[in-house]
Amino acid sequence: MSQLWGVPAGPIVVATVATGPGWNPAKARLALIGIVMLLAWGVVAWRLVQVQVVLAPEVADKGLQQRLVVEELAPQRGKIFDRNGDLLAMTVEAESLFAVPAQVEEPRWVAQQFGTLLGVDAEALYERLISDKDFVYIKRQVDSSVADELLALNVKGVYSLPESTREYPAGEIASHVVGFVDIDGIGQEGLEIVYEDGLRGVPGQARFERDANDIPIPQGDNDIVPAVPGFDLNTTIDLPLQYQAQQYCEEAIKEPILAESCWVVVLEVETGEVLAMTGAPAFDPETRTTQDGSPFSNFAVRGVYEPGSTQKLITVAGALEEGTVQIDTQFFDIADVLEIKEGACESDVDEIQGCYRDFEEHETEDMTVEEIFVQSSNVGTITVADTLGQDKLVEYIKAFGLGQPTGIDYGAEASGILNFAAGCETCWASGAIGYSVAVSPIQMAAAYAAIANDGQWITPHIVSSVTDATGNTEVAGVETHQVVSPETAELMRYLLAGVVDVGTGTSAAVEGYRVGGKTGTANILGDDGQYTDATRASFVGMAPIDDPKVVVAVLIDSPSHKYRTGGASAAPVFSKVMEQALHRLGVTPDGKE
Amino acid sequence: MSARPERLSGADPGLRVLKGRRASRPALAPWMIMAVVGVAAFLGLVFARTSLDNAAFDLAELDVAIEQQTELNQDLKLQIARMENPARIAPLAEEMGLVIPVETHQLLVNLDPSSPVVVFADDPGGHQ
Repeated sequence: MSQLWGVPAGPIVVATVATGPGWNPAKARLALIGIVMLLAWGVVAWRLVQVQVVLAPEVADKGLQQRLVVEELAPQRGKIFDRNGDLLAMTVEAESLFAVPAQVEEPRWVAQQFGTLLGVDAEALYERLISDKDFVYIKRQVDSSVADELLALNVKGVYSLPESTREYPAGEIASHVVGFVDIDGIGQEGLEIVYEDGLRGVPGQARFERDANDIPIPQGDNDIVPAVPGFDLNTTIDLPLQYQAQQYCEEAIKEPILAESCWVVVLEVETGEVLAMTGAPAFDPETRTTQDGSPFSNFAVRGVYEPGSTQKLITVAGALEEGTVQIDTQFFDIADVLEIKEGACESDVDEIQGCYRDFEEHETEDMTVEEIFVQSSNVGTITVADTLGQDKLVEYIKAFGLGQPTGIDYGAEASGILNFAAGCETCWASGAIGYSVAVSPIQMAAAYAAIANDGQWITPHIVSSVTDATGNTEVAGVETHQVVSPETAELMRYLLAGVVDVGTGTSAAVEGYRVGGKTGTANILGDDGQYTDATRASFVGMAPIDDPKVVVAVLIDSPSHKYRTGGASAAPVFSKVMEQALHRLGVTPDGKE
Repeated sequence: MSARPERLSGADPGLRVLKGRRASRPALAPWMIMAVVGVAAFLGLVFARTSLDNAAFDLAELDVAIEQQTELNQDLKLQIARMENPARIAPLAEEMGLVIPVETHQLLVNLDPSSPVVVFADDPGGHQ
């Protein structure tokens, strides 16, 4: 018996050999196995080729997508500075704490602990934690150190994500100028919204591969397009002066003046820069809350009021410029009441219908233009306006910037109102003394600044320049135009000084400086169309009067009766603010009280 | 004893001994060198790659450190700004004894060197 490949011959081999000549079943099985193996390897090879060659780009892309993370890089919002480089607004990193309610095991305990530590209403937080939502905020924009301490408690289901927050280190002081952003960092008020596009910057993009543990793969497919930071705003605001102005305004809304609000605008004459613009009550830009629930809006730019006697500056300046009067021109028989429409004075309350009264009763007398202005005679001023004529009066009112936005770089500026409708017989007279027109404090400050600046009107502005991330600085441009001649402006400054020296504005005096200005007291129009006893008291002036450097406008809304006039309530605030402004600018005293 | 078989005496004359090719050993040196170079290159590559990855991790750590220091810097700037806030300083200064004068006097200095007179604005008499 033979051996096949060393295998002892057995019955099977014998049986196989006995099957027939030429047929080797072992070989056949081997061939079959070989074919199957070949097919199997063929399938594997085919799949390999398919995956590695045919589908290679698609599969590689799928793999990359699993590893690849694309994140938007939030740009750093620009900072806002005052004129001395002090910070008014900046963005810092913070953490937002959130929870996955399904993972929180003890929602009541978490709500109480986190609510107490973060100042969040525990009950409201508990409601959120037991909700069926996948994601709820515990508190957004928490200080990083506080967030780290809370996360160290390792509470299940509580996580954090980085989120920047806007900080206002000057707090309420500059709130009306700077404004604020919302919880998502988008400007909502003030410079924050006016310069939103520039402050926000341009988002970047980071594309990188990460491993299973979320750790970036250093040599992976990484591509970063850096975010472009927003530009910084360099404002003209002087923070110490802004603080002082706000303090004096705060005093005006307390006893004994008890005004509803107070607004102050301080302009540098030569440049039109706003050194201070503030109001009371103020608001906290970080919490976005006011002291008394009053609106955030900046009345100094967006509000309008009937200016009353401060408007007389324009009337008299126009008449002097046109030569219809001189300051020593005398008007005879000036009474304390003037009736333009017959029978108008039968009613005591309705001035706009054609009856005009001086603030204080007096005997009929002869008055020069200077006396009319210094004593703030309504009747006398209307008489002066009569020499000018309505068309010219309106022309000068517009030239001084009333009835249109000044162009200040602050959004939604009020245009003001000029009510000189055709057919209105008394509007010109009302307009001459500051009724029938409505202006904003910034408009009135700019008008007085024109007189201070030898008749040249300059666009008031808050931002002096912007600086981009590379350090390039762009300076803001301003517009100017001549309103009256330097000679007329000088005459008007002389008259304004008289108001403070001997007229209605003596309490506006500043020790060591010669000051000029004009008081204004206007009754507030009620909802019924009749004037009420409540007033808006104002004072606008400049110093030093021989070479003015600063213009200050003060508006006090609804002071108590004793302080209802501009001379009683606004002029003292003006005096204090002007003194601080002159000291801040280092203006040499002119030696006069 | 040698295991070498003895030559047959009656050898077939048709058979002859062919001179075989001399056995030669392959030159090992080039292969060895190539292998060593290959291994060295491989190890070098691994080392370089490791170094690169280490450097990348170091760089990533540095980036994180820079970011942290930048944040710290921002926080410090913010703290400075808060501390410099006039609304904080003014009341604090008064608490610490600052007295804001109620009555102020303006000093006017004549810059003419021949008659250096210091005059109080509210006292025209002046003081030599």
